[in-house]
Amino acid sequence: MTNVQQTYLKIPKRWKINLIFSIAMLVALIYSFAGSEINILRLSSVFYSFKYMILAYTKINWDLVLGMGIYPFSDGVVYMALETLAMAFFGTLLGGILAIPLGFLSSETVGGKTGSRIGSAVLVLIRVFPEIILAVVLLKGFGINSMTCVMAIGIHSVGMLGKLFAEAIDNMDKLPLEALDAVGANRWQKIRFGILPQIAADFSSVTLYRLDINVRSASVLGIVAAGGFGAMLSYASAPENQSVLAALMVVIVPMILIMDAISGYLRGKLI
Amino acid sequence: MTRFTLTSGKVIVKPFNKIWIVLFVILIIVVVLGQYIYFPEYLTLAEIWPFLKKMFSPRNDIFGHRTWGDYFNYIFTIIPYYLLKTIKMSIGGTVIGSAIALPFSVLAAKNVFKNKWITSPFRFIMNIIRTIPAAVMVIVAVFIVGTGNLAGIIGFSLFSFGIMAKMLYEVIETSDMNSFEALESTGANKTQAFRYALLPQIFPIFISYLIYVFEINIRASALLAFVGVESIGSIIQVGLDGGDFDYIGGVVIVLTFVIIIIQLFSNWIRGKLQ
Amino acid sequence: MIRFVDVKKTYLNGVQALKGINLEIHDGEFVAIIGLSGAGKSTLLRSINKMIDITEGELYIDDVEISSIKGKELRMLRRSIGMIFQSFNLVRRMSVFNNVISGRVAYHSTFKTLIGRFPAQEKILALESLEAMGILDKAFARADQLSGGQQQRVALARALTQQPKLILADEPVASLDPITTIQVMDDFAKINKEFGITIIANMHHVDLALKYANRIIGVKDGLVVFDGKSTDITEDILVNIYGRTLKHDEVLGE
Repeated sequence: MTNVQQTYLKIPKRWKINLIFSIAMLVALIYSFAGSEINILRLSSVFYSFKYMILAYTKINWDLVLGMGIYPFSDGVVYMALETLAMAFFGTLLGGILAIPLGFLSSETVGGKTGSRIGSAVLVLIRVFPEIILAVVLLKGFGINSMTCVMAIGIHSVGMLGKLFAEAIDNMDKLPLEALDAVGANRWQKIRFGILPQIAADFSSVTLYRLDINVRSASVLGIVAAGGFGAMLSYASAPENQSVLAALMVVIVPMILIMDAISGYLRGKLI
Repeated sequence: MTRFTLTSGKVIVKPFNKIWIVLFVILIIVVVLGQYIYFPEYLTLAEIWPFLKKMFSPRNDIFGHRTWGDYFNYIFTIIPYYLLKTIKMSIGGTVIGSAIALPFSVLAAKNVFKNKWITSPFRFIMNIIRTIPAAVMVIVAVFIVGTGNLAGIIGFSLFSFGIMAKMLYEVIETSDMNSFEALESTGANKTQAFRYALLPQIFPIFISYLIYVFEINIRASALLAFVGVESIGSIIQVGLDGGDFDYIGGVVIVLTFVIIIIQLFSNWIRGKLQ
Repeated sequence: MIRFVDVKKTYLNGVQALKGINLEIHDGEFVAIIGLSGAGKSTLLRSINKMIDITEGELYIDDVEISSIKGKELRMLRRSIGMIFQSFNLVRRMSVFNNVISGRVAYHSTFKTLIGRFPAQEKILALESLEAMGILDKAFARADQLSGGQQQRVALARALTQQPKLILADEPVASLDPITTIQVMDDFAKINKEFGITIIANMHHVDLALKYANRIIGVKDGLVVFDGKSTDITEDILVNIYGRTLKHDEVLGE
């Protein structure tokens, strides 16, 4: 046999792996549908549901959206949007502030081997819990109000931000720290003059990105813990209340688009 | 601004530090948004601890008297039923949403399609869909197909699509386009060039995103119960209403395990795909 | 045969890269295009397989005017022309073999290529191309594990697998060290002689161009200022093409 023929026999059968992967995906997909109670009657009316849904957007109750007329401002959807933004903002602020010491601790550069292990473990533990679980627990301490959401978002953000902060610290340029060692700086002085100036932009960018995510969580977290759109979303989840959902959507979508744009712009400035 | 006079008589002006402007802006936002936050008059933080104890031990009061056996029995028999529903919806949503996101993200990538008239509409659709939270997606889906798994799958598909498409087109836009150019120079069309030059580059990232989106869906699914779709959150909902906090604790334990397993799996597969 | 008739190219930013090129390149030639960077060498080369569209004039390949073709016809044209790049342009995380076989995708329908299976004789062809380039033993290594010279040979093997009648090379050795440069240029010479494939290469190193090519085209400010045998090149002609004596880095020097 020539070299070419020998090598030909060794060509890996990649398509077999691809086939297995595709079939696995397909099986998972079919399995996920298994037991879905697909109601033919319901499906036949999908078109009408769509039509009804689109129609709802032409009949939006703008008094309800803006909190005018018979609705006090504090019952309007716009007020809820402001409340949502406030929940996300304070949650991010709380998370950002608490994440700084934890981030430093769990970075190897500052915390060392032991510190980073302890810090990372704490952060992993915090991250594991979905915000809704945190909200359920915090409900007992803060009551059914927006403060519970702020705390839930804040605590969850600590876990996410702390990890990213620690990564930012470990990835930065270490040479300035050596220079500070050379001039005899202590640990705190090294953090102030060697680390903070380098990572400030990274921290801000990561925190702004978190704010984006938190605005989305704050929009729905109120379903469990009150505050923001929560109560009205629960109400709108009943099929007959499409017009209320429409009123919510015309505020939620632009709100998140604008927040994304602002934070994207600010993050662009930071680089 | 601060002025320094050196011993040589030279004057140096230190510019105003921008950090003060940033802090000032944050302060203004705090003051403005602060009025929209409800500050509870009294906190009942002391109640959190007994609540946690109730969550992680069998219920024992006049409405229910359970043993540790009942507690674990619940974790191993009842919760898996709801967990399975949750996992099914998350898998269906992740797979369908990501599969649709793949071609969309290519069409939205400016380095593949130089024409703005092609990329802009796709970007617009993606951006709009991306703004809508999972729970809201599911509310819409429930309205169209009724409550049930199908609504969950459809809602999660749209939600997953939004996250995945955005992340993917950013990856595609930062991919190495040299090989794409080379494939086009051999006469390949855009689809073929994507298949042979870009897909091998983005595939490992796509897989790790797939797991990431799946995890987000699992986390988000707890909320679904509150908008009418049966999921692991149903136990939380019922538990809160009926005071069966031990059931909620069981959910926390199971969810924690599931998420840890997903993350371990994600780490393992990322190592494999390097 | 390739024929340029008064070909001009003006970029959108107003830069006039080609100002009226008239050329005829015959089958089996090894042509080197030399000139300063920015003289229009790359534009000239890339207009042949329409990686860049010309703005004026006519460009014939085998008596077919190509400036207006597009879609399937264009892809058929490109299929018959191999292209080599300065930075190799391989898919770095893919195996060498998969990179080479990807030269065949234009021979199949989109649907067939999506699955990623190729006929046996095409796989053999890919392996034979690798053997011709002397890197058959690396067939299943990842492309990014190879040295620069080896990667450029993989790119050559990919071009050979296209079974082209013409290979365009845009600064093929500019990012290689002197020793591998010689090896890769020998490969070009081999492809030209043994496979009878026309080669048109942009060359940065003038001495290499003179050594390997049998025809030199000197380009200056978007115009052809010299066109003749490599043996006819004199110091004066080079000074005319470059507007100055050659710099140290423009000769490889052996």
